[in-house]
Amino acid sequence: MKRSKVLLILLSIAVLVLPTLAVAAQDQTEVRISWWGSQNRHDRTIAAIELYEELNPDIDIVYEFQGWGDHWTKLSTQAAGGELPDIMQHDYARIEEWVANGLLLPLDGYIESGAIDAMSIADASLAGGMVDGQLYGINLGNNSEVFTLDTDAFAAAGLELPPLDWTWTQFEDIATQIQESLGIHGIGVLTSDQLWKSQYMGCCDQWAYAADGMSLGYEDDQPLIDYYNMLLRLQDNGGMQSYEDSVARGDQGVEAQLIVSQEAAMAYHWSNQIVAVWNAAGAERNFVMYPVPRPEGGQSQNYIKPSMFFSVTSQADQPDEAAAFINWFVNSVEANEILEAERGVPISSVVRDALLPNLGAAQAEMFNYLGIIEMDNSPIRPADPAAHSDVISNVFGPEFVEPVMYGMISPEDAAPFLREEANRILGAQ
Amino acid sequence: MAAATLSKAKRRKQSNFGQDNLVGYLFIGPWLAAFLLFTFIPISVSLLLSFTDYNVLANAGEFIGLDNFQRMFFEDRRYWRSVNATLKYVVFSVPLRLLFALAVAMLLNTYRRGVGVYRAAFYAPSIIGGSIAVAVMWREIFGNDGLVNFTLNVLGIQGPNWLGRPETAIWTLIILAAWQFGSPMLIFLAGLKNIPKHLYESAEIDGANAWQRFLRITLPMLTPIIFFNLIMQLISGFMVFTQAFIVTQGRPLDTTLFYALYVYRRAFEQNEMGYASAMAWVMLMVIALLTALVFRSSSYWVHYEAGEGA
Repeated sequence: MKRSKVLLILLSIAVLVLPTLAVAAQDQTEVRISWWGSQNRHDRTIAAIELYEELNPDIDIVYEFQGWGDHWTKLSTQAAGGELPDIMQHDYARIEEWVANGLLLPLDGYIESGAIDAMSIADASLAGGMVDGQLYGINLGNNSEVFTLDTDAFAAAGLELPPLDWTWTQFEDIATQIQESLGIHGIGVLTSDQLWKSQYMGCCDQWAYAADGMSLGYEDDQPLIDYYNMLLRLQDNGGMQSYEDSVARGDQGVEAQLIVSQEAAMAYHWSNQIVAVWNAAGAERNFVMYPVPRPEGGQSQNYIKPSMFFSVTSQADQPDEAAAFINWFVNSVEANEILEAERGVPISSVVRDALLPNLGAAQAEMFNYLGIIEMDNSPIRPADPAAHSDVISNVFGPEFVEPVMYGMISPEDAAPFLREEANRILGAQ
Repeated sequence: MAAATLSKAKRRKQSNFGQDNLVGYLFIGPWLAAFLLFTFIPISVSLLLSFTDYNVLANAGEFIGLDNFQRMFFEDRRYWRSVNATLKYVVFSVPLRLLFALAVAMLLNTYRRGVGVYRAAFYAPSIIGGSIAVAVMWREIFGNDGLVNFTLNVLGIQGPNWLGRPETAIWTLIILAAWQFGSPMLIFLAGLKNIPKHLYESAEIDGANAWQRFLRITLPMLTPIIFFNLIMQLISGFMVFTQAFIVTQGRPLDTTLFYALYVYRRAFEQNEMGYASAMAWVMLMVIALLTALVFRSSSYWVHYEAGEGA
């Protein structure tokens, strides 16, 4: 009786204490890294990490990856808990907010000491990662918005390829004709908030947000109204996938674009994503990349943006090792032969030159496309205000795009409401 | 003599009282520690946060009184849409699920061969119930080229875009809920087995038909079980999250933006922990109030058998 009681007490103590004893002994230095992306990026990045570990047996890179939305959910939660990884992939739209809250380390010291070798990197390519005169993110590739055209589908529809400075009117005609002659959509839904942000560059040399981020940056609702009336026409005649269909399919990443499954002849995405799109579609397909259409008599709606950054967080345990990894990731030809410009055109000229002769079809097209955009573009605008996510998630989507595309309200009535609500949120920051 | 041993045993029990408790506490220790750490403390903190403007990234949170509640009730249009969607979901999914559970439990309350297999089969959807896999499967079933529309097509009917239409999207989730009737079913089954056979036998002798037997014996005898199931399902109905998060993401037009999903969005996508905590506490209050109401009403419709243990 008594002995069994003692046994019971010992047992329950064991249950309590054992888990805390499970501490792993380690001789390797652990560097944690987190990124967002598609399956293609995950595969390439993991392969590069494995190579790095092979070259540096004393380093253990612990990686986490996720989709775009989950990335920010996870990382901001980790930030609150003081659990940020050493390296995190960052974005032009969010870097200001993170720097303002003291979550990222300035990297200027590593550039000066040569730990991050910037010898073959143009200053302009680093500029996007500067906040208040200090460098907080190393650009992983140059990027621009793109309309990708399936040349085989164009040939099958008997359509000529448009000129590079094509207009929205020409685009609408083409999308409609593709639907008429091939019975597939011209393109997937074009209701992305990115198009809303850049749209006013083409017509009016303005941007969705004002320079100080405290209000909307465009004065006239009419171009937005015209654009959404065009989308409604295309939705009706099948030139564009219906919004309803896109909702039913859900957000399944770039690999699920309609152009991949030949359900559409064109696609809108970021230029670096051509690697994932082409990879998913198959090497036998033929694509050509076009700038975003412009308004009649308007200017280019394209700008060149750092596709994404690697940043070292202020909660990093191993900032020096993190910087060493970033240096290798950006400057090593070996690494970039694996990564194959999937994050955009590499910023190191040495890497670019080494990759050029052996580029795959998708990468070659992307390099060529960025060359075209460099000749004719609009200047990049300030990073998005902190309230951007609130404006997009709670106003632009549910109060503007959805009611308009479901025909609950006309673009004429919805645009002023969007302005009013967005300004209220932006002004309250 | 029997009384003497009893009182002796009682005395011994009393003298060992403290020691027995110690063992007990040690055994529930891990659970208790986890409960305090991961449930009680966070819930208490969230009450405090609900009166602040705490933002995970931007600020540590200042006391702003009732501003969060003011904003929720009078300024946030999406808040009311999420209330609407949640109420609709609860009003339809809870009775449907209970109905299915009771019907299937009655079917399975027999001693045919292989009934155990059927019970396991009907319970299976609930084990995997809240899981991502089921939600993803549901997407495929109700997708535009999914199983449902394929079947309708064979019958010559052009099915609608279930997940894309504002009128139909929430119903796919309500049907999903009704399909996951396993746990209330098991409880009903246990309840049905507890109804004494002699009641049915005497009713049969008196000439009562099956429907009368169900209405006059089964239902009244089951009311405590129905009561329990109703409370449990009501609570879990209000907390619905995964299904909408995976299958519809709250779309279209916020018709499936369930309360918990909206709280999650505000908390983890906009990082507005203060506001989200306030929303969560309103939900807690509403659920507590409704549960209390159901408890109050129970004296009118729940019958407990007087001779318990007979």
